[in-house]
Amino acid sequence: MNLRKTINSIGLADWLLMAIFVIIPLAGMVFINSIISSGSDVVIEIEGMDKYRYPLSDDRVVNIKSSHGSLNVEIRGRKVRVTEASCANKLCERQGWLDKGAIICLPNRISITVGGPQEPKDRTVDAITG
Amino acid sequence: MQSQDRYRIALLSAYALALHGFESLIPMPIPWLRAGLSNIIALTTLVLFGFRAAMMVTLTRVMLASLLTGSFLGPSFILSLGGGVSSVAASGLVLRVLPNIFGTVGISLIGAFFHNISQLLIAYLLFIQKIEPVLIIAPFLILLGTVTGFVNGLVAGILVRNLKNSGSKIQNSNK
Repeated sequence: MNLRKTINSIGLADWLLMAIFVIIPLAGMVFINSIISSGSDVVIEIEGMDKYRYPLSDDRVVNIKSSHGSLNVEIRGRKVRVTEASCANKLCERQGWLDKGAIICLPNRISITVGGPQEPKDRTVDAITG
Repeated sequence: MQSQDRYRIALLSAYALALHGFESLIPMPIPWLRAGLSNIIALTTLVLFGFRAAMMVTLTRVMLASLLTGSFLGPSFILSLGGGVSSVAASGLVLRVLPNIFGTVGISLIGAFFHNISQLLIAYLLFIQKIEPVLIIAPFLILLGTVTGFVNGLVAGILVRNLKNSGSKIQNSNK
C-alpha cells in the first residue's frame, strides 16, 4: 500500500504513454493558438457600418475617411498600424503594430480589427460614446 | 450471468455511484470539470472481472447517477454516457489486444483520453457545432484528463493488488 512501491509498479510503457499524452495536448495548444489567434484579414468599420476588408498578407497603405475625420492605415509584414490620425490625442497611432486584436479610433468612429476570414453576421455596435 | 456476478456488479456499481456523487463535492476550477473518480471502479472491474462487468458497472453508474441528479436524458447524461462507454471500450480493447504491456496507469490514461475525445466529439456534434471553441478547449481537457487519469490509474493499481492478495474467494468465482 505504500506510495513508493506503487510508483515503482508503473511500467515503462505507462510512462511513455504518459509522456505522449502530455506532449500531444501541449503541442496542440501551441498549434491551435497559432492558427486561431492571428487573424488573416484586416476589417475596417466606419461608424459601425461601412466595411473595408484587406488581407493581412498584402502590404498597402490606405486612407480611411469618415464624417468625423480620417486615418492612414498601413499594412505591412502581416501587421497593421495607424500612421496618421486626424484626431487630437493620437491614441491609435501610439498603439503601434498589431497582428491581433483591434485599434479603435473613437473620435473618428473608425475601428480596425484583425479577424479571421469569416465574420459573425449579427455583430453590430450598440452605442458609441466619447 | 451467474448470480454471484450480479451481486458483484451491483456492489461495484454502488461503489462507483458513491464516488461519482462524492466527487461533485470536490471543488474544481471549472464547474463542469470532474476528476472521474468512478473510473477507478470501472478500471478495477475491468482488470479483475473482465470487459462485460466493467461495461455493466459503468452503464449502471451513469444511469443511476443521472436519475439521482435529475439529469436523465439531458446533455450531461449524454456526455457522461458517451464518455463512460467509450472509455471502457477503449480500455477493454487495449487490455485485450496488448494484455501485458500496460499497467493500470497506462490503461487509465487511454481510458481518460478516449473519455475526453468522445465527449468533445459529442459536444461538438450535438451542442456546440462550432469547431473553434472545441479546438481551443480540447488540449486543456486532454492534459487535465492525463493528470486525473494518472492518479486514478495509481489508485486502481493499489485496489487491484489488494483485492488479488486478499480475496481467493473473489478470484475463484471469476467467470
